[in-house]
Amino acid sequence: MGIDFIDVAQAIIDGLLFGSTYALIGLGFTLIFGAMHKLNMAYAASAIAGAYVGLAAIALSGLPPVLAFFLGPVASGVIGLAVYITCFRYMPASNMLAPLMASIGALFFIDEIIIHATAGSPLAFPAVMDDVYFELGEYGFRGDLIFVLVTSLVAMLVLLYVLFGTRLGLATRAVSQQVVAAELCGIASHRTNATTFVLTGVLGGLAGCMAAAAVGVISPLLTVPITVKGLIVTVIGGLGSIPGAIIAGFAVGGFENLFLLVFGVNQRDIYVFLLLFVFLVFRPNGLLGKAIKRD
Amino acid sequence: MLNLKHVLKPAVWAAALSAMISPALAEETILIAGWGAKSGPLRSFGVNSEAVLKAAVKEVNDSGGIMLADGTKANLEYIYFDSACNAEQAISVARKVASETRALIGIGPTCSGAAAAMFGVFQKTVGDDNDTGLQFPILTDTAVRNGLAKISQWTFRNTPNEPDMYDKLFAWVAKTYPDLKTIYGGTETDQGHSNGTYSRVIVQASKRYGFDWATGDIEGVTGDLGSGYTEVLANSSNWLMADTNFSVQARAFKKSEADIYIISSHPFTTCGMLKELKRRRAEPKLLIGLTSSSSAEVMKGCAEAAEGMVIPTSFAPITPAAEKVAMLANENGGDADLHSAAAWENVMIIKQVIESAGVENKPETLMADRRKIRDGLETLERTEGLIGQVQRVQDEGEALKPYVFVQAMGGKWSVIHDPRSIQ
Repeated sequence: MGIDFIDVAQAIIDGLLFGSTYALIGLGFTLIFGAMHKLNMAYAASAIAGAYVGLAAIALSGLPPVLAFFLGPVASGVIGLAVYITCFRYMPASNMLAPLMASIGALFFIDEIIIHATAGSPLAFPAVMDDVYFELGEYGFRGDLIFVLVTSLVAMLVLLYVLFGTRLGLATRAVSQQVVAAELCGIASHRTNATTFVLTGVLGGLAGCMAAAAVGVISPLLTVPITVKGLIVTVIGGLGSIPGAIIAGFAVGGFENLFLLVFGVNQRDIYVFLLLFVFLVFRPNGLLGKAIKRD
Repeated sequence: MLNLKHVLKPAVWAAALSAMISPALAEETILIAGWGAKSGPLRSFGVNSEAVLKAAVKEVNDSGGIMLADGTKANLEYIYFDSACNAEQAISVARKVASETRALIGIGPTCSGAAAAMFGVFQKTVGDDNDTGLQFPILTDTAVRNGLAKISQWTFRNTPNEPDMYDKLFAWVAKTYPDLKTIYGGTETDQGHSNGTYSRVIVQASKRYGFDWATGDIEGVTGDLGSGYTEVLANSSNWLMADTNFSVQARAFKKSEADIYIISSHPFTTCGMLKELKRRRAEPKLLIGLTSSSSAEVMKGCAEAAEGMVIPTSFAPITPAAEKVAMLANENGGDADLHSAAAWENVMIIKQVIESAGVENKPETLMADRRKIRDGLETLERTEGLIGQVQRVQDEGEALKPYVFVQAMGGKWSVIHDPRSIQ
């Protein structure tokens, strides 16, 4: 089957829309890295776990399905706090590897808890505007993905406001820039870090719900690919850069779909990882990260 | 007045007589081992298999146990291991069970890839002293990819024969829907069963019955099993098992304008793909799925999007025995489907073989007993299945199981065609 311009444009449009979930996950990774200079590998697993909790809550209580999008992020925030306490708070600051490995352990621990609770079965996840499909000439736009995009953009704006317009954001930025100086100014760094984990957890829970809603199904299979995509977005956007993560999320979504269309599914990820290598080699600071000097 | 002595006396005699006539219950139980995916994303397969296995073992014990060579009866006992869907883990469990337990036979594993690797560590030819592979009989319930049991003479399967099932399915489709002419499809390329069955079996069967590939003939595809299978994959719109975005594939399906769509994948991506097709308003005249998707998981994940999908399956609760197994599986926290239901049949086959092969079930006869069971399995010509007789393909260790065609209707799988009477 030949590929025409409309196929290319449609693939990129769909990829950009779906990329908003990658952007949210990338934001979470980059926020934690920015605040603590550490990677939380359990982040995407917490996000999916939160979405599961949201789904379970509406299933058990009979609440309207749309509330899963509120309960999920709240649950993810709580899980994020638990991950901070168990994997970061009491780990020796001098051992950079310890929290990384602990969070990898937490990733698989959370994943297995989900698997054991659900027997690994995929479960239908409620979607908003699932049956809405806008057509503009030859092009089509999924209503649910537009909902995902709009929600993600609103979440990003709220996050930016929190970071740059509130005392909490000021404290977070202060801790990320110079912990000792921040503490001398009276900022409780551990509490600020814990708050950052809760905040990013809420963001991740929203991303988990959005990803599950975009697929229409939630499964533990989502955790590892979303973790990988989140890390790629974080690196391409520039470690610690919030606008970089947002742009990179959309870009990775778009490129991923384009590679799928042109090269097929078996080669798609080769090119996505090639994109990562290109950035690491030629622009290690990513799109908008702080300049990194080579050795 | 009722005299207690008069009541008790005959009862005591009856009990003593009964003890003399009926075989004594052996002290040692007969141990069988099961293994499958109890962790990882395919955990439901292991959960379902163990639920059915547990019910079958109870059924055997409730009916008096299994007769051994010396005339005593022994109860059946099972142990179940988690082999995930991982080749190394499955091999490790097989080695452990064969060398460290007194299990007489194994049932498992879940995944075809794990089974293919695991079967490779078994002795290829029975009695070959130069081959130090495991000498332990296996009767697989779930791993369904075509032709795996041939890897070793110790490995047997009671799994559906997909080439036969899809051949009959397309014969039926050609007859029932004469207006349908073209097909298009896709599969999970990282799953051996999904893409192997799709490219080597399903598309070939469609070709044999005159269906055309919607976007033009595929080079090398003749209808023979496996012909041009790489080209089939290259001409299809495929995905991976953990994919989350199916927009490009769904657009290709819709663009093909095929009458029939084939979705050959496991429940998670089957649901993802079906939901995407529905959103895109891609409306084929018929949907055909992979055997493994005729399960409760698809109904839990996307019943509405799956509406109308047709799948051949070797299990449906259409006989009293099958209904009973479905109920017992639910009571044990699982679901009976075409994979897990085979565990019930396997236990009954094992009982039959142990009783006919003169198994002694003593520590000193362990290896000889395992060999007797293997030899017994090899000589079986047919066994009783839950929905009909199962023929054994003796030189291959495989089964030819009866099957029906089910269709997703109103949130459940309904039987729409029963070819058992014409087999």
